Amino acid sequence: MAGYLPFDEPSLIGLYKKIWEASFSCPSWFSSGARNLIKRILDPNPVTRITIPEILQDEWFKKGYKPPKFEQDEDVNLDDIDAVFNDSTEHLVTERKEKPVSMNAFELISRSQSFSLDKLFEKQCGSVKPETSFASQCPPNEILSKIEEAAKPLGFNVHKRNYKMKLKGDKSGRKGQLSVATEVFEVAPSLHMVELRKTGGDTLEFHKVTTKPRVYTVGKMSGLDASKREALGSLRFFNLL
Amino acid sequence: GSSSLTLGERICAAFIPLVAVVDFFIFVVANCFYCQPRREKCRYGPSDFTRLANESRFTVNEVEALYQLFKKLSSSLIDDGLIHKEELQLALFQTPYGENLFLDRVFYLFDEKKNGVIEFEEFIHTLDIFHPSAPIEDKIDFAFRLYDLRQTGFIEREEVKQMVVAILMESEMILSDDIIESIIDQTFADADADKDGRIGKEEWKTFVLQHPSLLKTMTLPHLKDITTLFPSFVYYTEVEEL
Repeated sequence: MAGYLPFDEPSLIGLYKKIWEASFSCPSWFSSGARNLIKRILDPNPVTRITIPEILQDEWFKKGYKPPKFEQDEDVNLDDIDAVFNDSTEHLVTERKEKPVSMNAFELISRSQSFSLDKLFEKQCGSVKPETSFASQCPPNEILSKIEEAAKPLGFNVHKRNYKMKLKGDKSGRKGQLSVATEVFEVAPSLHMVELRKTGGDTLEFHKVTTKPRVYTVGKMSGLDASKREALGSLRFFNLL
Repeated sequence: GSSSLTLGERICAAFIPLVAVVDFFIFVVANCFYCQPRREKCRYGPSDFTRLANESRFTVNEVEALYQLFKKLSSSLIDDGLIHKEELQLALFQTPYGENLFLDRVFYLFDEKKNGVIEFEEFIHTLDIFHPSAPIEDKIDFAFRLYDLRQTGFIEREEVKQMVVAILMESEMILSDDIIESIIDQTFADADADKDGRIGKEEWKTFVLQHPSLLKTMTLPHLKDITTLFPSFVYYTEVEEL
Protein backbone atom coordinates (compact mmCIF):
# COMPACT_ATOMS: atom_id res chain seq x y z
CA MET A 1 0.00 0.00 0.00
CA ALA A 2 2.75 2.42 0.94
CA GLY A 3 5.50 1.02 -1.26
CA TYR A 4 7.95 0.83 1.62
CA LEU A 5 8.34 -1.07 4.86
CA PRO A 6 6.90 0.33 8.09
CA PHE A 7 10.01 -0.65 10.04
CA ASP A 8 13.25 -0.42 8.19
CA GLU A 9 16.61 -0.11 9.93
CA PRO A 10 20.09 -1.16 8.89
CA SER A 11 20.76 -2.79 12.24
CA LEU A 12 18.63 -5.57 13.76
CA ILE A 13 18.65 -3.95 17.18
CA GLY A 14 17.54 -0.65 15.71
CA LEU A 15 14.80 -2.50 13.85
CA TYR A 16 13.51 -4.26 16.94
CA LYS A 17 13.55 -0.97 18.85
CA LYS A 18 11.34 0.62 16.21
CA ILE A 19 8.92 -2.30 16.27
CA TRP A 20 8.78 -2.28 20.05
CA GLU A 21 7.98 1.41 20.13
CA ALA A 22 5.60 1.11 17.17
CA SER A 23 7.63 3.92 15.68
CA PHE A 24 6.42 4.13 12.10
CA SER A 25 4.60 6.69 10.02
CA CYS A 26 2.02 6.17 7.33
CA PRO A 27 2.28 8.05 4.07
CA SER A 28 0.06 11.11 3.73
CA TRP A 29 -2.21 9.49 1.13
CA PHE A 30 -3.41 6.82 3.54
CA SER A 31 -7.02 7.26 4.59
CA SER A 32 -7.77 7.60 8.29
CA GLY A 33 -9.51 4.18 8.21
CA ALA A 34 -6.36 2.53 6.86
CA ARG A 35 -4.15 4.39 9.33
CA ASN A 36 -6.29 3.33 12.22
CA LEU A 37 -6.34 -0.33 11.25
CA ILE A 38 -2.59 -0.48 10.66
CA LYS A 39 -1.96 1.17 14.01
CA ARG A 40 -4.04 -1.52 15.70
CA ILE A 41 -2.26 -4.32 13.80
CA LEU A 42 1.25 -3.02 14.50
CA ASP A 43 0.48 -2.79 18.22
CA PRO A 44 3.48 -4.24 20.12
CA ASN A 45 1.24 -5.28 23.01
CA PRO A 46 -0.39 -8.64 22.16
CA VAL A 47 -3.17 -8.07 24.67
CA THR A 48 -4.39 -4.84 23.09
CA ARG A 49 -3.47 -5.80 19.52
CA ILE A 50 -6.36 -6.32 17.15
CA THR A 51 -7.42 -9.96 16.53
CA ILE A 52 -8.29 -11.56 13.21
CA PRO A 53 -12.05 -11.67 13.94
CA GLU A 54 -11.84 -7.97 14.85
CA ILE A 55 -10.00 -7.21 11.63
CA LEU A 56 -12.79 -8.92 9.73
CA GLN A 57 -15.22 -6.54 11.45
CA ASP A 58 -13.22 -3.37 10.76
CA GLU A 59 -15.12 -0.89 8.58
CA TRP A 60 -12.19 -0.01 6.36
CA PHE A 61 -11.28 -3.68 5.88
CA LYS A 62 -14.83 -4.69 5.04
CA LYS A 63 -15.06 -2.25 2.11
CA GLY A 64 -15.06 -4.32 -1.03
CA TYR A 65 -13.96 -7.45 0.87
CA LYS A 66 -14.96 -10.77 -0.64
CA PRO A 67 -14.58 -13.63 1.81
CA PRO A 68 -12.72 -16.59 0.25
CA LYS A 69 -14.85 -19.52 -0.83
CA PHE A 70 -13.38 -22.93 -0.19
CA GLU A 71 -14.43 -25.70 -2.53
CA GLN A 72 -16.16 -28.69 -1.08
CA ASP A 73 -14.44 -31.94 -1.93
CA GLU A 74 -15.84 -33.13 -5.23
CA ASP A 75 -15.67 -36.82 -4.70
CA VAL A 76 -17.25 -37.03 -1.29
CA ASN A 77 -20.57 -38.73 -1.54
CA LEU A 78 -22.87 -37.25 1.03
CA ASP A 79 -26.01 -38.93 -0.25
CA ASP A 80 -26.21 -41.51 2.50
CA ILE A 81 -25.58 -38.96 5.24
CA ASP A 82 -28.00 -36.45 3.75
CA ALA A 83 -30.64 -39.13 3.37
CA VAL A 84 -30.48 -39.88 7.07
CA PHE A 85 -30.59 -36.26 8.14
CA ASN A 86 -33.15 -35.03 5.66
CA ASP A 87 -35.84 -37.40 6.82
CA SER A 88 -39.01 -35.81 8.13
CA THR A 89 -38.78 -34.58 11.68
CA GLU A 90 -41.08 -37.36 12.88
CA HIS A 91 -38.11 -39.68 12.91
CA LEU A 92 -36.28 -37.42 15.33
CA VAL A 93 -38.57 -38.52 18.08
CA THR A 94 -38.33 -42.27 17.42
CA GLU A 95 -36.21 -44.43 19.68
CA ARG A 96 -33.05 -45.76 18.16
CA LYS A 97 -34.24 -49.31 17.63
CA GLU A 98 -32.10 -50.37 14.75
CA LYS A 99 -28.69 -51.88 15.09
CA PRO A 100 -25.73 -50.32 13.37
CA VAL A 101 -25.11 -51.43 9.79
CA SER A 102 -23.17 -54.65 9.87
CA MET A 103 -19.70 -55.03 8.46
CA ASN A 104 -18.42 -58.36 7.21
CA ALA A 105 -14.94 -59.82 7.51
CA PHE A 106 -13.86 -58.67 4.04
CA GLU A 107 -15.03 -55.11 4.65
CA LEU A 108 -12.94 -55.22 7.81
CA ILE A 109 -9.97 -56.50 5.86
CA SER A 110 -10.33 -53.89 3.14
CA ARG A 111 -10.39 -51.04 5.65
CA SER A 112 -7.19 -52.20 7.24
CA GLN A 113 -4.14 -50.02 6.80
CA SER A 114 -1.87 -53.00 6.42
CA PHE A 115 -3.68 -54.41 3.39
CA SER A 116 -3.24 -51.32 1.28
CA LEU A 117 -0.62 -50.30 -1.28
CA ASP A 118 -1.36 -46.66 -0.54
CA LYS A 119 1.74 -46.51 1.57
CA LEU A 120 3.92 -46.71 -1.51
CA PHE A 121 3.04 -43.07 -2.09
CA GLU A 122 3.08 -42.02 1.53
CA LYS A 123 6.38 -40.17 1.57
CA GLN A 124 5.57 -38.22 -1.55
CA CYS A 125 2.24 -36.89 -0.45
CA GLY A 126 2.54 -36.64 3.29
CA SER A 127 0.32 -39.61 4.11
CA VAL A 128 -2.62 -37.52 5.21
CA LYS A 129 -5.85 -39.20 4.31
CA PRO A 130 -9.29 -37.65 4.57
CA GLU A 131 -10.61 -40.70 6.37
CA THR A 132 -9.67 -42.99 9.18
CA SER A 133 -11.20 -45.90 11.00
CA PHE A 134 -10.58 -47.81 14.16
CA ALA A 135 -12.06 -50.74 16.06
CA SER A 136 -13.69 -50.57 19.46
CA GLN A 137 -15.16 -53.02 21.92
CA CYS A 138 -17.47 -50.44 23.49
CA PRO A 139 -21.19 -50.55 22.73
CA PRO A 140 -22.11 -48.33 19.77
CA ASN A 141 -24.11 -45.76 21.75
CA GLU A 142 -21.21 -45.30 24.09
CA ILE A 143 -18.84 -44.81 21.16
CA LEU A 144 -21.02 -42.07 19.71
CA SER A 145 -21.42 -40.38 23.09
CA LYS A 146 -17.70 -40.38 23.64
CA ILE A 147 -17.09 -38.83 20.25
CA GLU A 148 -19.73 -36.22 20.97
CA GLU A 149 -18.23 -35.45 24.37
CA ALA A 150 -14.83 -34.99 22.83
CA ALA A 151 -15.99 -33.03 19.81
CA LYS A 152 -18.12 -30.43 21.56
CA PRO A 153 -15.32 -28.74 23.56
CA LEU A 154 -13.31 -28.58 20.34
CA GLY A 155 -16.04 -26.36 18.94
CA PHE A 156 -17.96 -28.87 16.85
CA ASN A 157 -21.70 -28.90 16.37
CA VAL A 158 -22.92 -32.45 16.55
CA HIS A 159 -25.93 -33.93 14.75
CA LYS A 160 -26.71 -37.51 15.62
CA ARG A 161 -29.04 -39.88 13.83
CA ASN A 162 -29.07 -43.60 14.47
CA TYR A 163 -25.45 -44.64 14.13
CA LYS A 164 -24.31 -41.78 11.94
CA MET A 165 -23.08 -38.43 13.17
CA LYS A 166 -22.23 -35.17 11.49
CA LEU A 167 -19.65 -32.99 13.18
CA LYS A 168 -19.39 -29.41 12.01
CA GLY A 169 -16.62 -27.13 13.23
CA ASP A 170 -18.07 -23.76 14.15
CA LYS A 171 -15.00 -21.61 13.55
CA SER A 172 -13.41 -21.35 10.17
CA GLY A 173 -10.36 -23.49 9.79
CA ARG A 174 -7.62 -23.24 7.18
CA LYS A 175 -9.91 -24.14 4.35
CA GLY A 176 -13.27 -23.23 5.74
CA GLN A 177 -15.35 -25.18 8.18
CA LEU A 178 -14.00 -28.61 9.07
CA SER A 179 -16.78 -31.15 8.91
CA VAL A 180 -16.56 -34.82 9.69
CA ALA A 181 -19.01 -37.65 9.07
CA THR A 182 -18.91 -40.54 11.49
CA GLU A 183 -20.50 -43.93 11.29
CA VAL A 184 -20.42 -46.95 13.53
CA PHE A 185 -20.61 -50.43 12.02
CA GLU A 186 -21.15 -53.73 13.78
CA VAL A 187 -18.58 -56.39 13.01
CA ALA A 188 -19.76 -58.58 15.86
CA PRO A 189 -22.04 -57.81 18.83
CA SER A 190 -18.97 -56.98 20.89
CA LEU A 191 -16.85 -55.45 18.15
CA HIS A 192 -17.58 -52.28 16.25
CA MET A 193 -15.75 -50.32 13.61
CA VAL A 194 -15.87 -46.52 13.67
CA GLU A 195 -15.32 -44.68 10.44
CA LEU A 196 -14.49 -40.98 10.32
CA ARG A 197 -14.62 -39.18 6.98
CA LYS A 198 -13.76 -35.59 6.23
CA THR A 199 -16.63 -34.02 4.30
CA GLY A 200 -15.36 -30.44 4.19
CA GLY A 201 -12.44 -28.29 5.27
CA ASP A 202 -8.73 -28.98 5.59
CA THR A 203 -7.41 -32.55 5.53
CA LEU A 204 -4.47 -31.68 7.78
CA GLU A 205 -6.84 -30.32 10.37
CA PHE A 206 -8.95 -33.47 10.08
CA HIS A 207 -5.83 -35.54 10.56
CA LYS A 208 -4.81 -33.57 13.66
CA VAL A 209 -8.16 -33.97 15.30
CA THR A 210 -8.67 -37.65 14.61
CA THR A 211 -5.36 -39.43 14.83
CA LYS A 212 -3.15 -40.50 17.67
CA PRO A 213 -1.78 -37.29 19.10
CA ARG A 214 1.91 -36.88 19.86
CA VAL A 215 2.99 -37.07 23.44
CA TYR A 216 2.10 -33.88 25.25
CA THR A 217 4.84 -32.76 27.55
CA VAL A 218 3.92 -31.32 30.91
CA GLY A 219 5.56 -28.07 29.87
CA LYS A 220 3.27 -27.65 26.89
CA MET A 221 0.11 -28.33 28.85
CA SER A 222 0.90 -26.06 31.80
CA GLY A 223 0.80 -22.90 29.69
CA LEU A 224 -2.86 -23.43 28.83
CA ASP A 225 -5.96 -22.63 30.79
CA ALA A 226 -8.13 -25.43 32.18
CA SER A 227 -10.71 -25.62 29.40
CA LYS A 228 -8.09 -25.80 26.67
CA ARG A 229 -6.21 -28.48 28.56
CA GLU A 230 -9.38 -30.54 28.80
CA ALA A 231 -10.06 -30.19 25.10
CA LEU A 232 -6.55 -31.30 24.20
CA GLY A 233 -6.80 -34.17 26.64
CA SER A 234 -9.95 -35.34 24.95
CA LEU A 235 -8.17 -35.67 21.62
CA ARG A 236 -6.65 -38.76 23.11
CA PHE A 237 -10.00 -40.40 23.54
CA PHE A 238 -9.65 -42.01 20.17
CA ASN A 239 -7.02 -44.19 21.79
CA LEU A 240 -9.16 -45.06 24.76
CA LEU A 241 -11.97 -46.58 22.77
CA GLY B 1 86.00 -55.65 -33.88
CA SER B 2 83.03 -57.60 -32.46
CA SER B 3 79.46 -56.36 -31.88
CA SER B 4 79.02 -53.49 -29.41
CA LEU B 5 76.28 -55.33 -27.46
CA THR B 6 77.26 -57.03 -24.24
CA LEU B 7 76.10 -60.54 -23.48
CA GLY B 8 73.42 -59.21 -21.16
CA GLU B 9 72.14 -56.87 -23.78
CA ARG B 10 72.10 -59.67 -26.30
CA ILE B 11 70.01 -61.87 -23.97
CA CYS B 12 67.57 -59.04 -23.30
CA ALA B 13 67.28 -58.39 -27.01
CA ALA B 14 66.33 -62.02 -27.57
CA PHE B 15 63.76 -61.94 -24.84
CA ILE B 16 62.06 -58.69 -25.66
CA PRO B 17 59.76 -60.09 -28.34
CA LEU B 18 58.91 -62.95 -26.00
CA VAL B 19 58.10 -60.54 -23.20
CA ALA B 20 55.91 -58.59 -25.58
CA VAL B 21 54.01 -61.75 -26.46
CA VAL B 22 53.60 -62.76 -22.80
CA ASP B 23 52.51 -59.24 -21.94
CA PHE B 24 49.91 -59.37 -24.65
CA PHE B 25 48.65 -62.73 -23.35
CA ILE B 26 48.30 -61.42 -19.83
CA PHE B 27 46.43 -58.38 -21.09
CA VAL B 28 43.98 -60.48 -23.10
CA VAL B 29 43.36 -62.96 -20.33
CA ALA B 30 42.85 -60.19 -17.78
CA ASN B 31 40.33 -58.54 -20.06
CA CYS B 32 38.48 -61.81 -20.31
CA PHE B 33 37.90 -61.72 -16.59
CA TYR B 34 36.43 -58.25 -16.90
CA CYS B 35 34.12 -59.52 -19.58
CA GLN B 36 32.56 -62.13 -17.28
CA PRO B 37 28.80 -61.63 -17.30
CA ARG B 38 27.86 -59.54 -14.25
CA ARG B 39 24.23 -58.77 -13.41
CA GLU B 40 23.90 -55.44 -15.21
CA LYS B 41 21.60 -52.96 -13.52
CA CYS B 42 18.49 -52.82 -15.68
CA ARG B 43 17.94 -49.44 -17.19
CA TYR B 44 14.92 -48.25 -19.09
CA GLY B 45 14.61 -45.59 -21.70
CA PRO B 46 12.01 -43.73 -23.71
CA SER B 47 11.17 -46.65 -26.00
CA ASP B 48 10.46 -48.87 -22.98
CA PHE B 49 8.21 -46.21 -21.52
CA THR B 50 6.27 -45.96 -24.75
CA ARG B 51 5.90 -49.71 -24.94
CA LEU B 52 4.71 -50.00 -21.34
CA ALA B 53 2.31 -47.09 -21.84
CA ASN B 54 0.81 -48.93 -24.80
CA GLU B 55 0.45 -52.10 -22.74
CA SER B 56 -1.31 -50.34 -19.89
CA ARG B 57 -3.73 -47.60 -18.96
CA PHE B 58 -0.91 -45.21 -18.13
CA THR B 59 0.35 -42.42 -20.34
CA VAL B 60 4.05 -42.24 -21.18
CA ASN B 61 4.54 -39.46 -18.63
CA GLU B 62 2.80 -41.53 -16.00
CA VAL B 63 5.04 -44.50 -16.77
CA GLU B 64 8.07 -42.22 -16.38
CA ALA B 65 6.76 -40.99 -13.06
CA LEU B 66 6.20 -44.57 -11.89
CA TYR B 67 9.75 -45.30 -12.96
CA GLN B 68 10.94 -42.68 -10.48
CA LEU B 69 8.99 -44.47 -7.77
CA PHE B 70 10.31 -47.82 -8.94
CA LYS B 71 13.90 -46.59 -8.83
CA LYS B 72 13.41 -45.33 -5.31
CA LEU B 73 11.93 -48.62 -4.09
CA SER B 74 14.32 -50.88 -5.96
CA SER B 75 17.46 -49.19 -4.67
CA SER B 76 16.52 -49.00 -1.00
CA LEU B 77 18.44 -52.12 0.05
CA ILE B 78 20.06 -53.63 -3.04
CA ASP B 79 20.71 -51.25 -5.89
CA ASP B 80 20.08 -53.57 -8.82
CA GLY B 81 17.04 -52.08 -10.52
CA LEU B 82 14.77 -54.78 -9.10
CA ILE B 83 12.42 -54.78 -6.14
CA HIS B 84 13.22 -57.53 -3.69
CA LYS B 85 10.72 -58.72 -1.10
CA GLU B 86 12.55 -56.93 1.72
CA GLU B 87 12.47 -53.69 -0.26
CA LEU B 88 8.71 -53.95 -0.77
CA GLN B 89 8.31 -54.75 2.91
CA LEU B 90 10.41 -51.72 3.79
CA ALA B 91 8.29 -49.51 1.58
CA LEU B 92 4.99 -50.77 2.98
CA PHE B 93 5.84 -51.42 6.60
CA GLN B 94 8.95 -49.33 7.32
CA THR B 95 10.87 -52.47 8.21
CA PRO B 96 12.39 -55.20 6.09
CA TYR B 97 11.81 -57.82 8.79
CA GLY B 98 8.91 -59.81 10.12
CA GLU B 99 6.25 -62.10 8.76
CA ASN B 100 3.40 -60.50 6.95
CA LEU B 101 0.41 -62.11 5.24
CA PHE B 102 -0.41 -59.28 2.93
CA LEU B 103 3.16 -58.70 1.89
CA ASP B 104 3.67 -62.32 0.87
CA ARG B 105 0.55 -62.36 -1.26
CA VAL B 106 1.09 -58.95 -2.82
CA PHE B 107 4.72 -59.71 -3.68
CA TYR B 108 3.73 -63.03 -5.17
CA LEU B 109 1.12 -61.37 -7.38
CA PHE B 110 3.46 -58.60 -8.53
CA ASP B 111 6.14 -61.18 -9.40
CA GLU B 112 4.55 -62.49 -12.61
CA LYS B 113 7.62 -64.47 -13.68
CA LYS B 114 7.92 -65.94 -10.17
CA ASN B 115 11.66 -65.33 -10.13
CA GLY B 116 11.73 -63.73 -6.68
CA VAL B 117 12.06 -60.13 -7.84
CA ILE B 118 9.74 -57.48 -9.21
CA GLU B 119 10.92 -56.02 -12.50
CA PHE B 120 9.67 -52.70 -13.80
CA GLU B 121 7.34 -54.34 -16.34
CA GLU B 122 5.72 -56.40 -13.61
CA PHE B 123 5.43 -53.28 -11.44
CA ILE B 124 3.54 -51.47 -14.19
CA HIS B 125 1.34 -54.46 -15.07
CA THR B 126 0.12 -54.87 -11.50
CA LEU B 127 -0.30 -51.18 -10.72
CA ASP B 128 -2.39 -51.00 -13.90
CA ILE B 129 -5.07 -52.98 -12.08
CA PHE B 130 -5.10 -50.39 -9.29
CA HIS B 131 -5.69 -47.54 -11.69
CA PRO B 132 -9.02 -45.81 -11.01
CA SER B 133 -10.13 -46.52 -14.61
CA ALA B 134 -9.20 -50.19 -14.61
CA PRO B 135 -12.16 -52.51 -15.26
CA ILE B 136 -13.88 -53.80 -12.17
CA GLU B 137 -13.45 -57.41 -13.32
CA ASP B 138 -9.66 -57.05 -13.08
CA LYS B 139 -9.97 -55.68 -9.56
CA ILE B 140 -12.38 -58.39 -8.49
CA ASP B 141 -10.02 -61.00 -9.87
CA PHE B 142 -6.95 -59.51 -8.21
CA ALA B 143 -8.70 -59.28 -4.84
CA PHE B 144 -9.72 -62.91 -5.12
CA ARG B 145 -6.16 -64.00 -5.83
CA LEU B 146 -4.91 -61.82 -3.01
CA TYR B 147 -7.18 -63.36 -0.42
CA ASP B 148 -6.69 -66.91 -1.70
CA LEU B 149 -3.67 -67.19 0.58
CA ARG B 150 -2.76 -70.77 -0.22
CA GLN B 151 -3.68 -70.55 -3.89
CA THR B 152 -6.22 -73.34 -3.81
CA GLY B 153 -8.52 -71.51 -6.21
CA PHE B 154 -10.92 -70.87 -3.33
CA ILE B 155 -10.95 -68.49 -0.39
CA GLU B 156 -11.05 -70.89 2.52
CA ARG B 157 -12.48 -70.24 5.97
CA GLU B 158 -9.08 -70.66 7.57
CA GLU B 159 -7.62 -68.05 5.26
CA VAL B 160 -10.28 -65.50 6.16
CA LYS B 161 -9.72 -66.26 9.82
CA GLN B 162 -5.98 -65.72 9.44
CA MET B 163 -6.55 -62.32 7.85
CA VAL B 164 -9.08 -61.18 10.43
CA VAL B 165 -6.81 -62.20 13.30
CA ALA B 166 -3.90 -60.36 11.67
CA ILE B 167 -5.93 -57.17 11.39
CA LEU B 168 -7.25 -57.29 14.92
CA MET B 169 -3.69 -57.80 16.16
CA GLU B 170 -2.64 -54.67 14.34
CA SER B 171 -5.29 -52.76 16.33
CA GLU B 172 -3.89 -54.50 19.39
CA MET B 173 -7.14 -56.38 19.88
CA ILE B 174 -7.25 -59.95 20.95
CA LEU B 175 -10.76 -61.34 20.76
CA SER B 176 -11.99 -64.71 21.83
CA ASP B 177 -12.10 -67.42 19.22
CA ASP B 178 -15.91 -67.51 19.53
CA ILE B 179 -16.26 -63.93 18.45
CA ILE B 180 -13.92 -64.36 15.52
CA GLU B 181 -15.73 -67.52 14.45
CA SER B 182 -19.05 -65.70 14.60
CA ILE B 183 -17.71 -62.89 12.41
CA ILE B 184 -16.63 -65.45 9.83
CA ASP B 185 -19.89 -67.39 10.14
CA GLN B 186 -21.84 -64.28 9.27
CA THR B 187 -19.58 -63.43 6.37
CA PHE B 188 -19.75 -66.92 4.94
CA ALA B 189 -23.52 -67.04 5.36
CA ASP B 190 -23.56 -64.08 3.04
CA ALA B 191 -20.81 -65.02 0.63
CA ASP B 192 -20.76 -68.82 0.47
CA ALA B 193 -23.85 -69.46 -1.65
CA ASP B 194 -23.39 -73.24 -2.08
CA LYS B 195 -22.42 -73.68 1.58
CA ASP B 196 -19.33 -75.72 0.84
CA GLY B 197 -17.29 -73.85 3.45
CA ARG B 198 -15.25 -71.90 0.93
CA ILE B 199 -15.75 -69.01 -1.46
CA GLY B 200 -15.29 -69.73 -5.13
CA LYS B 201 -14.61 -67.24 -7.89
CA GLU B 202 -18.23 -66.87 -8.96
CA GLU B 203 -19.46 -66.57 -5.39
CA TRP B 204 -16.81 -63.91 -4.78
CA LYS B 205 -17.91 -61.95 -7.82
CA THR B 206 -21.55 -61.95 -6.73
CA PHE B 207 -20.57 -61.03 -3.18
CA VAL B 208 -18.39 -58.11 -4.24
CA LEU B 209 -21.05 -56.68 -6.52
CA GLN B 210 -23.36 -56.61 -3.48
CA HIS B 211 -20.69 -54.93 -1.33
CA PRO B 212 -18.74 -52.62 -3.65
CA SER B 213 -16.80 -50.99 -0.80
CA LEU B 214 -14.81 -54.24 -0.60
CA LEU B 215 -12.86 -53.13 -3.62
CA LYS B 216 -11.70 -49.87 -2.10
CA THR B 217 -8.16 -51.13 -1.56
CA MET B 218 -8.03 -52.22 -5.20
CA THR B 219 -7.88 -48.63 -6.37
CA LEU B 220 -5.02 -46.23 -5.66
CA PRO B 221 -6.31 -42.69 -6.26
CA HIS B 222 -2.72 -41.39 -6.18
CA LEU B 223 -2.12 -43.05 -9.55
CA LYS B 224 -4.18 -40.27 -11.11
CA ASP B 225 -1.76 -37.58 -9.89
CA ILE B 226 1.35 -39.66 -10.21
CA THR B 227 3.07 -37.17 -12.50
CA THR B 228 2.86 -34.45 -9.87
CA LEU B 229 4.01 -36.76 -7.09
CA PHE B 230 7.07 -37.88 -9.08
CA PRO B 231 8.10 -35.21 -11.53
CA SER B 232 10.51 -36.80 -14.00
CA PHE B 233 13.59 -35.37 -15.67
CA VAL B 234 13.05 -33.03 -18.57
CA TYR B 235 14.79 -34.99 -21.28
CA TYR B 236 12.58 -38.02 -20.82
CA THR B 237 9.47 -35.95 -21.31
CA GLU B 238 10.51 -35.16 -24.86
CA VAL B 239 8.67 -38.33 -25.77
CA GLU B 240 5.48 -37.26 -27.46
CA GLU B 241 2.24 -38.16 -25.75
CA LEU B 242 -0.13 -39.69 -28.25
